[in-house]
Amino acid sequence: MRIFPRDLETLWTLFTAPVVWAVHFLACYLTVAIHCAKGGGERQFAMLQFVLGGVTLAALATIAISAFLAWRQWGFGTTDPPHDDPTEEARKLFQGFATLLLSALSFVAVLFVATPLLAIDGCFS
Amino acid sequence: MSSVEDRDQTPISTDEEERQLRAVWANPSGWRYWTSVNNTQIGLWYAATAFLFMLFAGVLALLVRAQLAVPENDLLSADFFNQAFTLHGTVMMFLFAVPIFEAVAIFLLPPMLGARELPFPRLSAFGFWSFLLGGVFVCGSIFFDAAPNTGWFMYPPLATDKQYSGIGADIWLLGLSFIEVASIAAAVELIVGIMKCRAPGMRINMMPLFAWYLLIVAGMILFAFPPLIAGDILFEMERMFDWPFFDAGRGGDPLLWQHLFWIFGHPEVYIIFLPAIALMAMIVPTFAQRPIIGYSWIVLAAVGTGFLSFGLWVHHMFTTGLPQISLAFFSAASEAVAIPTGVQIFVFIATMLAGRVIPSVPMLFGGGGLVIFVVGGLTGVMVALVPIDWQAHDTYFIVAHLHYVLIGGMLFPVVAGIYYYYPLINARKLSDRMGKIAFWLMFSGFNIAFFPMHFAGLRGMPRRVFTYPADVGWDWFNMISTVGAFVFATGIAIVVVDVLRPKHRQPKGEANPWNAGTLEWISEPEENWGVRSIPIIKSRYPLWDQPGLRDDIAKGRFYLPGAVEGYRETLVTSVLDAEPIQCLRVGGTSYLTILSAMALGGVFVAITFHWWIITALCAAAFLAFVIGWLWTGTAIPPEKAEKDVGLGLSLPLYVSGPASVGWWAMFITLVGDGTAFGSLVFGYFFYWTIHDDFTAGLAGPGLKWPLVALGLFASAWIAMVAARSVNRGHRTRDMRVLVLCALMLTLLGGAAALAGPLLTQMDPTEHVYPAIVWVLVLWLVSHAAVGVVMQLYCLARSFFGRLTATHDIDLVNVVLYWHFLTITALTTLGVIGLFPAMR
Amino acid sequence: MAAALLSTFLLSACTGPQSVFGAAGREASAIEDLIVVTAVGAACAWFIVTSLLIYAGRVRRHRFAEETAQRFITWGGVVIPTVLLFALLSYALWSMPATRPWFDRQQADLEIEVTGEQYWWRIRYLNTSGDVAFETANELKLPVDRRIRVSLKANDVIHSFWIPALGGKMDMIPGRTNTLWLEPTRIGSYRGPCAEFCGTSHALMTLTAIVMTMEDFETWRQGRINKSPTSADAGAAFQRNGCPACHAIDGTDAKGLVGPNLTAFKDRLRLGAAANTRDNLFRFIRDAGEFKPGAQMPAFPMIPEGELNAIVDYLAGET
Repeated sequence: MRIFPRDLETLWTLFTAPVVWAVHFLACYLTVAIHCAKGGGERQFAMLQFVLGGVTLAALATIAISAFLAWRQWGFGTTDPPHDDPTEEARKLFQGFATLLLSALSFVAVLFVATPLLAIDGCFS
Repeated sequence: MSSVEDRDQTPISTDEEERQLRAVWANPSGWRYWTSVNNTQIGLWYAATAFLFMLFAGVLALLVRAQLAVPENDLLSADFFNQAFTLHGTVMMFLFAVPIFEAVAIFLLPPMLGARELPFPRLSAFGFWSFLLGGVFVCGSIFFDAAPNTGWFMYPPLATDKQYSGIGADIWLLGLSFIEVASIAAAVELIVGIMKCRAPGMRINMMPLFAWYLLIVAGMILFAFPPLIAGDILFEMERMFDWPFFDAGRGGDPLLWQHLFWIFGHPEVYIIFLPAIALMAMIVPTFAQRPIIGYSWIVLAAVGTGFLSFGLWVHHMFTTGLPQISLAFFSAASEAVAIPTGVQIFVFIATMLAGRVIPSVPMLFGGGGLVIFVVGGLTGVMVALVPIDWQAHDTYFIVAHLHYVLIGGMLFPVVAGIYYYYPLINARKLSDRMGKIAFWLMFSGFNIAFFPMHFAGLRGMPRRVFTYPADVGWDWFNMISTVGAFVFATGIAIVVVDVLRPKHRQPKGEANPWNAGTLEWISEPEENWGVRSIPIIKSRYPLWDQPGLRDDIAKGRFYLPGAVEGYRETLVTSVLDAEPIQCLRVGGTSYLTILSAMALGGVFVAITFHWWIITALCAAAFLAFVIGWLWTGTAIPPEKAEKDVGLGLSLPLYVSGPASVGWWAMFITLVGDGTAFGSLVFGYFFYWTIHDDFTAGLAGPGLKWPLVALGLFASAWIAMVAARSVNRGHRTRDMRVLVLCALMLTLLGGAAALAGPLLTQMDPTEHVYPAIVWVLVLWLVSHAAVGVVMQLYCLARSFFGRLTATHDIDLVNVVLYWHFLTITALTTLGVIGLFPAMR
Repeated sequence: MAAALLSTFLLSACTGPQSVFGAAGREASAIEDLIVVTAVGAACAWFIVTSLLIYAGRVRRHRFAEETAQRFITWGGVVIPTVLLFALLSYALWSMPATRPWFDRQQADLEIEVTGEQYWWRIRYLNTSGDVAFETANELKLPVDRRIRVSLKANDVIHSFWIPALGGKMDMIPGRTNTLWLEPTRIGSYRGPCAEFCGTSHALMTLTAIVMTMEDFETWRQGRINKSPTSADAGAAFQRNGCPACHAIDGTDAKGLVGPNLTAFKDRLRLGAAANTRDNLFRFIRDAGEFKPGAQMPAFPMIPEGELNAIVDYLAGET
């Protein structure tokens, strides 16, 4: 027996992109918060910006993959919403489309959250 | 419809079926009426109670406005004023805004999903009684001059200062913890109900948007409320036993509370806002007379907001002196959350433009609410920019902002919902004329009251001031605000009168007066059964697209048309495609729920006043009632394996594991529980972060005992997993032996976990380090104790033949608990034992 | 045009002694600009959305095909807001370090330490070596066009230091020391409240910032550093009734640290909550709670009227 039933796993794909956003957000915030609270120096801060830049790229790439999979599930956009037929096919198309939209939102949100790394370079308050 | 022919072979007549159903679903009469557990009933009580609390908090707000009408007023004393605004915020947030949606959801969801009943009606009843008792306790305090007076955010050290805050702070902490229990109970009910109890055919792309929103909101409650519960625990430990979590003198930090409070507090805003928008998503298509455009966009917005709302909490802490870059992350997320919020408004406008809008009172309130909400949203975008917040924070600009958001985004849609859904309660519409008068009074009164506050705030008027001097230039703004507040209140009074005025002379209206397309409009106000028979759904707007549906449902031509065996039954379906998988027997009328709620309420009240003996007695009573409730109401082996539910379909009456609703409820509860635990662990590492040496040179629990405890807990887990599998192999005796072994191992594990801090004599009042270690250990040990009770319960069930090889719900769910307990043990013991050693 | 009118209106409606408009400090000026720009933008956005909503509610035949509606949501609801929000966010983020700049301690022209107390402000001017030069309360005298480092502390509960005309607020949290850099640009007197709820008389915890020329400031500062007692005799009543247990007057042997330092009391504009008049001072000493409910200073009903007048005389003459 597994901890997650199969249904949850398939519903899970909907949440992949926002979860990546959440992980990226926490990674940025916690790393910087701990670094600053522990009195980290300026040179390490530049290093930190670099590493978190890498984390950001990784997050964006993951979301892009999730978006691609969703796009595939949505039939590469060959059909239009609303996907409201009472069939399993329509349900899958809907899921694909909703996941694609969520991936787009998460992508933008990751970009938003990464912007401070460029704008502010130091621990000052 | 081919299904209709199939049903004709059933021997029982439709009248007989209806008689059966009515008998099974009837509410008891006389005083026993209050032991009802039917969700439709509970939903109404819940909504009425929440509304009364709202009126109470509204009166407090009017007192506040009266005091502030003129400078240097002495209508209210400073202390009463502080109690009044604290209680106003607390009651509006905890006793109105969140509960009203649990209420509306519990009331609407069964017919909307095409279900007889949500899966845990007794849990809903328990939640309602907890809410009522806790709410009366918190509100009543102001009549004894003992209300909380430190603001609804309860910042320590002001709120931990017993001389200042008196018993009010304890009433806040314990009363609201009690209500949070009710909220989490409702979240469990809603999630499982929406995922597992939809009518066959209602795939996730068919779900009414209201259900989508509520699913997300319930999930958010699950992650947002537990951090506050964890904070409450730390807070009460400091107030009651002097454990210095927020005392800077002994290594604590007041900021930890702010983090925990706002990790709860910001998602809370969206927990309040999303269900209101959900009502709009039901109302707009009805009055545009077309399906919503952008169904997927709404789902995107709901899920996206749900996630992003957890990345905003520090924007309440922009002035605490955290590094600017930390603030900037939260500023960025706060701007990002405006995107999904905006999408929803454009979806509504697009739907209106693509249809033909019928003017009506619900649309008036809905549209007016949006106009107000947009102002709040835009000022939100402003104050999410850190520099603007440095000026605007804690001023009347924020008071204006939050009321524009909450009243526009929540109260107006709720009133729209009252006007829209009232026919489902009483089969009659509310008055159009009174509705319009109420709307214009509320809309103009609101803007007169709150728009000037933007200017007062920018002119430097801070929040939470009981008076202000005449020469600072705030007097006119405040006078206008007060006048507006009373106009606004008049509007609300008219709504109240419209709802309460006797309507028996008014003729009963048609069943679906607005010609809505969604399923809740098949509900019959006089009946308790949710739906007469459980339909097959083929559209998002079945009443528009499935001709004859109402008639077929009412004639019992679908699933479960009767109640032959005399049980309350509903269908359980699969999560994604809603294929029927079980016929679930739900709990019926019971006095155990009300008694459990009273006993638990007794625990919280008694702790407030430090009556320890009464606390223990109430806790024992609570345990007894809950066990009685579980024993008589859950996992009962049915008289037969399967049942014919109609239309030629036969479904099992008993399933265990992930297919069962009980497993899901356990899983969801444990996710919430795990979040609270995670918050405590966050506290541990928070103290590590802010101190150079967070142990302050004090002895820790050592490495030996935590590792011993870890081994014991792991063995107990293995024994439990083994017990589950031997039970399936019909080896009942081996199962009992294994469970007994696991029980002993758990007891020993708990003792070993306690041994660490005990033997090194860690004193939790000395410094925050021993205090946080003790809290983690006590959390683990108390969960182990609950686990032991569960093991004893399983053994008893086995001896009484209620737990067998094929009927193993209890054991499977307890093993699920054990998975979580083992993770808790691993984390706790690793953190307190290994982490200090690794540094 | 509408924007210009609106901003003029905003500005005129919003100036005052405690206003964030009419800025008299660097940080406040920068934020003022940001507020005006975003407020005008917000007003435009609100106007557009509300017009759309009213139009959509009033048209009686359907306007949009399904695809048009989808495009409307994509562009109006998603793309345009996202671009605007991103632009706004970037602008605000890049302006943050400039708005509230950070310097090394040595770069300060003046260092002040302000401690929030229930319900007053303890103000300490530091000398170049970082030690306390002298202490005062509730009135913050500052030189114009100088870079001032303010350390913010609290011992009892959380307070928040805020002088809207000079800059944004910063909390004072027990166990932490926050630092705020101020640079006043205009001479004048500005009011500041405590911006974090701190107890019964939170509303009455106010501060006055007096920005003066560097010369005036130096004169005042030197005067305070070289403080000598005004009158030994008149202090007798002050001494006899135990006032020095809590209050200090520089240059005398009154060295209490619990309550506000009362040196140069005559110059004080306010008694924290009320105007500094003889009558108010008399009543304040009798029962401070009358002015500030919940004040820590006990009531003194037992001091004979003559004695009380002598104390008032003494303080009123203390320059």
